[in-house]
Amino acid sequence: MSSHVLVMMLFAGFVSLIFAVLMKDRPAEQLRLAGRLFAGFVGAALVLGWLLFPFPL
Amino acid sequence: MGRKSRDTRRTRVTPAADPAPAVARGDRNRALAAAALGWAVPGGGHLWLARRQKGLVFLLAIPLMFVFGLTFGGRLFPLDSGQPLVLLAAFADLGNGLPYLAARAAGFGEGRVAAVSFEYGNTFIIVSGLLNMLVALDAYDEALGRRQEP
Repeated sequence: MSSHVLVMMLFAGFVSLIFAVLMKDRPAEQLRLAGRLFAGFVGAALVLGWLLFPFPL
Repeated sequence: MGRKSRDTRRTRVTPAADPAPAVARGDRNRALAAAALGWAVPGGGHLWLARRQKGLVFLLAIPLMFVFGLTFGGRLFPLDSGQPLVLLAAFADLGNGLPYLAARAAGFGEGRVAAVSFEYGNTFIIVSGLLNMLVALDAYDEALGRRQEP
């Protein structure tokens, strides 16, 4: 897999799922928290990516 | 008179309640066994404690994340005390338990440095190991009945 965004989303999905199942006991709450964490991870990565865009390496 | 009344006051002070009640030796051994099983087999501690839903999710997700890391060309870092960062990464890798030992024994995890996904692979392996350590600690708390939902 060579798409950076897809790999980042896969990583965010795993971490969100495991954190949500660790922190909540009921499946509905786990799903809700996993969704929020996933959206937070992906959203933060996209925002940070665009903020870093003007800075050349 | 003054001294006497002060002493009396001192003796009236009640000791603070113990915040952590004593844990029976049997309970602690059971909790340690759950944590050890949870480290060796991701989710194994929760399954042993009859937390089937959580155990199954961990049993599937953590090894899958580890396998993705190997597939992306990630490296299983050696325990090299000469390089502190490599040593830390090796400890994190060890958190994967038996899947880590099996992969090392089978010769996986050499690391494809030239692969575009090499660093992603390392990240997947390291983070899956760290997450499994958290899961093992959660099994320990679960066995002691200490766990509280935040």
